[in-house]
Amino acid sequence: MSDLVWTSLTDLARAIAARDVSPVEVVQAHLDRIAALDGKLKAYLTVMADAALERAKAAEAAVMSGEPLGRLHGVPVGFKDLYCTKGVKTTGGSHILADWVPDEDATVVSRLAGAGAIALGKLNMHEFAFGPEGLNPHYGTPWNPWDPNTHRICGGSSSGSGAAVAAGLCPGALGSDTGGSVRIPSALCGISGIKPTYGRVSRAGVLPLAWSLDHVGPMCRTAADCALMLGAMAGYDPRDPTTSVLPVPDYTAALTGQVKGLRVGVLRSFFLESTGVALRHAVEEAVKGLEGLGATIQDVNLETANFAPAASYAVLSSEAYAYHEAWLRERPADYGDDVRQRLRVGAFISAAEYLKGQQARALIRREVDGALAKADVLVCATTPIVATAVGQGEVTVEHEKLAVRASLIRFTRPFNLTGHPAASIPCGFTAAGLPVGLQIIGRPFDEATVLRVADAYQRATDWHTRRPPVDQPRPVAPEGRPA
Amino acid sequence: MDPLTLDTLRTLAQSLGLALSDEELDGLLPLVRTGRAMMAALPSEALRDIEPACQYRLF
Repeated sequence: MSDLVWTSLTDLARAIAARDVSPVEVVQAHLDRIAALDGKLKAYLTVMADAALERAKAAEAAVMSGEPLGRLHGVPVGFKDLYCTKGVKTTGGSHILADWVPDEDATVVSRLAGAGAIALGKLNMHEFAFGPEGLNPHYGTPWNPWDPNTHRICGGSSSGSGAAVAAGLCPGALGSDTGGSVRIPSALCGISGIKPTYGRVSRAGVLPLAWSLDHVGPMCRTAADCALMLGAMAGYDPRDPTTSVLPVPDYTAALTGQVKGLRVGVLRSFFLESTGVALRHAVEEAVKGLEGLGATIQDVNLETANFAPAASYAVLSSEAYAYHEAWLRERPADYGDDVRQRLRVGAFISAAEYLKGQQARALIRREVDGALAKADVLVCATTPIVATAVGQGEVTVEHEKLAVRASLIRFTRPFNLTGHPAASIPCGFTAAGLPVGLQIIGRPFDEATVLRVADAYQRATDWHTRRPPVDQPRPVAPEGRPA
Repeated sequence: MDPLTLDTLRTLAQSLGLALSDEELDGLLPLVRTGRAMMAALPSEALRDIEPACQYRLF
């Protein structure tokens, strides 16, 4: 295989099982690329080079001896640094946990290892997952691979996961999503990611941000890879009492390439009105593309989406404060300024406000359920803006100044409140070459349909195959100095 | 609802046992004000008979 770092996770698994390529070659190719590019990209916080190579050799031996192989046998993956990894530092992107070494794996880490996946390392993130930009004052902010000249955000909080997958530093990674933290970096980095239904994937051994909003999800370059990874980690877990006992379908088998007759609801008001022209155009073209594949299109309004910021303020802030209260009292200086300040807001929310937020949440869920009774999936932009420069607090969209942080989570957080599955896939680029994400929302526990739509779209388009300009040499000025 | 003042926020913080400097309270004030305004804007009538979404397990 000519270019291992750009080969999909699905094809790598197939090639390894067929003995076309050795897991050692695959792992080494990714380690070499991390060594070459990650000094700038800052996607990884810990690279597990020795352990990964050791596991790759064992995986190679298993292939050669004809042992039964897991569906991800020999394939390297990365973990956002809030997944507990036995014997390996798990910082949560924080200074507070800078030296914490868990004594057991998160359930999803164990399950992916059980399927044969090899951990390449732990990935950078917004401190304690509390920020949609993906900034990190302690370890450096990951660099969005799509702009080699300007330090742009990757989106967060799973910023390292987004950068690593987009730049070919791993074919798949785990993110976590409390307000959009899988989908936002997927959109801003031009990759595919899915936040499954609340309860579909175990959160045991995952550092929480807000227990009732946290979701675990895969981030890969294709929807088919997300399906493969999700299938390996979903399902009931006695360590997480919120996981569902519903059986896990074969997500890969659900990728038929067919969407004929499928009813697609397009979220326009709220979800498209405050979106820039280029993004709106990309989403409208994607909708036309789905229509061209045989889907039927209808407009859908979600009036209660306007309640999401208030519900999120009450619920997320309260739950996050409850988790961090002791550290905030004892070690406030160890937090980054932005995270410390926003965590403290939770101290001033009353129990009545928390429950009012939960009431608003129930209302939103009821409306989304109603919309999905008439449509099989809903679609909209994942974010109303593309990747901004690091440190940029505002962006102008159609003569309107918008706060970057609030804009990034505007379209994603309603579905954390409702728990519905939601994916983001690339659906275009701006004139400046920055990726645009299409969000696809489905019925509870119907990830299969969400992934089927995403995969059918990717079979008909090539947005997901484009590569960021990280391999291009820097332009050289006429006098011979780097420009 | 009267807008939250710095003095009120300081009193609230003290009642919670939080020793925050004026600078820290200054930074928090707009965030808490915005949050309270969003809560106040929720439609009380529409929410009155809604059971809070506190059931985790969907199935």
